[in-house]
Amino acid sequence: MITAYVRLEVRRTLRDIGFVISTIGVPVMMYLLFTNLGVDDSAYKKAAMVGMAAYGALGAALSLGTGVAEDKSTGWLRQLRITPMTPRQVVTGRALTGSVVVLPAIIGVLLAGGLANGVRMDAWQWALVALTLWLGSLPFTLLGIGNGYQLTAQTTGVVNVASNLGLAVLGGLWFPISLFPGWLQTVSGFTPTNRFAELGVSMAEGTAPGWATLAVLVGWAALFGTYAAVSYRRSARTV
Amino acid sequence: MKTDPTKDPTADLATDLTADLAADRPSGEAAVAFRAATKTFGTVRAVDGLDLTVRRGETVALLGRNGAGKSTTIALLLGLDEPDTGRVEILGGSPSRAVAAGRVGAMLQEGRPVPRVTVHELVSFVARTYPAPMPVAEALALAGLTDLAGRRVDRLSGGQTQRVRFAVSLVGNPELIVLDEPTAALDVEARQEFWDSMRGYARRGNTVLFSTHYLEEADEHADRIVVLDSGRILAAGTSEELKRAAGGSLVSFDLAGGPTEWLGLLPGVSSYEVRGDRARLRTDDSDGTVRALAERDAIRSLEVTPISLNDAFLSLTAKNLEQVR
Repeated sequence: MITAYVRLEVRRTLRDIGFVISTIGVPVMMYLLFTNLGVDDSAYKKAAMVGMAAYGALGAALSLGTGVAEDKSTGWLRQLRITPMTPRQVVTGRALTGSVVVLPAIIGVLLAGGLANGVRMDAWQWALVALTLWLGSLPFTLLGIGNGYQLTAQTTGVVNVASNLGLAVLGGLWFPISLFPGWLQTVSGFTPTNRFAELGVSMAEGTAPGWATLAVLVGWAALFGTYAAVSYRRSARTV
Repeated sequence: MKTDPTKDPTADLATDLTADLAADRPSGEAAVAFRAATKTFGTVRAVDGLDLTVRRGETVALLGRNGAGKSTTIALLLGLDEPDTGRVEILGGSPSRAVAAGRVGAMLQEGRPVPRVTVHELVSFVARTYPAPMPVAEALALAGLTDLAGRRVDRLSGGQTQRVRFAVSLVGNPELIVLDEPTAALDVEARQEFWDSMRGYARRGNTVLFSTHYLEEADEHADRIVVLDSGRILAAGTSEELKRAAGGSLVSFDLAGGPTEWLGLLPGVSSYEVRGDRARLRTDDSDGTVRALAERDAIRSLEVTPISLNDAFLSLTAKNLEQVR
């Protein structure tokens, strides 16, 4: 039942041209642009590849929330409530959908890195980078779902764009945080996006991620998970 | 529709027949039971002490004006809302249990079509959420969608979208189907097609509850009509029973310039109106009224007609308005 639901929602998401362009096209284009304008630096190409893949995954995960808000306003969520699917199955299906639709963004940027920018890694490293970026996007999926249930369709769009840009820039997904002033670097260390990218970078460099990285990510996942659950429960009464 | 066998005076017989058709379903409990259910939004009592039973195999219309409480009644029925007080049961259990067991299908009124899926994708997804659905092709055929299966739901016309909603509500093969204003926004032809499909489904022994503010629809397609106003049931029964309850027949004649003040004093007359030179008397005892008119020789172009369901409805809701005030 959940598989059928996830299949339907994944189809719906990937048929959204706006979604495909903004979560796959834009990160790939930005990556190729940023890494080929300045000096030819292969280390930067690798780090930026992970950062942009993370950015794409972040965008895809958050825009899932826009989809939820849209479904709320079209009445689709209400229609689902009168099918035998339980509310819990619907939310789980949504979260699983999120974890599927972040994949094209991650894979798109990694392909651009490997094929166009000549980034070289062992096969297991490629697999591990993709896998960690995939798993690490869970907190953002939860944040997106929380926004979708909490807010109206219009505000969800705005909040998601703000979260997306804010978290991306602050977390250093666009520019390395070494360019930031000292205090901002400290703040950046506590953002989920920074730790998310760091997780990917450590995989790309073949080192184990630090405990602080994992702790920050788990903390945010718990926080966003609670937010998603509370928002969902609140809206389930009115949808 | 005079040829419809489910209409009075043979209604009881016909209901028995449909009940027999439904006999292979587990029976004994009512399809729908409201017991003193109340739902308040702010200061508005949307549903006010509703008592309603729908038997299995029945087709029942909830008839009422906009804001009469039809949609709230349906939301309570589907478990989308909880009653403040009282109880709502469907198929012998709570609404949410019946919904989770796949015994209910519904067509909701509000909402736009779900974006970016085809008709076939949507209907087959919904089918898979039910334990014992009908074949998707059959549901599409019943709803007249076979030729539109590959089209995207958000690119269909209003009438076609409505048919998609109908297919979604019946593909799970539910015992009870609930339709909230199913023909709103349909043109005459599409409406006729819709009711043909609905009848096909009801004939299989299923229970159908639909809301409408079209009197003719309630009259033609329901075994029983429940008139709702201000969240309460004003009357329930076959359309014949409703007409009788509202005050039997209409006697009209030309006044030929005669006086009008005695009209209300005639035997059986409950109300009257004068339009131009013609008097229209609503009466419970048309024989008595006509006899009294004949004595006064006021029989020019005399006509006795049964009141229409429209008149019955207006009279019932007007009485309620007086009581509320």
